[in-house]
Amino acid sequence: MIWRRLALGGAILSALGGCIQVKAPEKPIEINLNVNVRQEVVVRLQRDADQFINQNPELFPQ
Amino acid sequence: MKTLTRISMLGLAAAIAVGAAGYASAQTSPALSAAIASGNVGEQADGYMGVKGSVSADVRAQVEQLNIRRRAAYTDQAASHGVALREWAATIGCQTLKNRVRPGQAYLLPDGVWRTKGADPIALPAACGG
Repeated sequence: MIWRRLALGGAILSALGGCIQVKAPEKPIEINLNVNVRQEVVVRLQRDADQFINQNPELFPQ
Repeated sequence: MKTLTRISMLGLAAAIAVGAAGYASAQTSPALSAAIASGNVGEQADGYMGVKGSVSADVRAQVEQLNIRRRAAYTDQAASHGVALREWAATIGCQTLKNRVRPGQAYLLPDGVWRTKGADPIALPAACGG
């Protein structure tokens, strides 16, 4: 009985092996977030630059 | 004791002199203000001031002095923000062109052409981002 089950399981596995293939991609999956990060850095720098100008008005005569 | 007093007096005098020099350089001279107002001196996109027209040697020297002091302050800021000096300076340039240059005053874009600000906001260089 147990042998029959094992044989059946083996048959199913080998059948599956024949039709489903999961293959790892050759290149790593890359998600590019650089644009967002860069934009955040620019916005933060601009805010700090404004603050710096306001705190050092003698360096920025008008 | 007498020598000690003399030394401390000298120190005091030196401190006052340095303080006075610092105070004097922190003020914008009327000549520089006039040169900015008339468009002979203006802000540059690189974060420094420049001479567009003809100015006196004195005003030119003041612009150079100002830029030296800006560079020193920029160096600290760039380090604390973890960016290159040039990047911090250019960010300052974006903000001065955007907020501080007044109509009738001169400004220099990265293309090397001096322009005079009109009623409209300055078209900022692409590097200034959004």
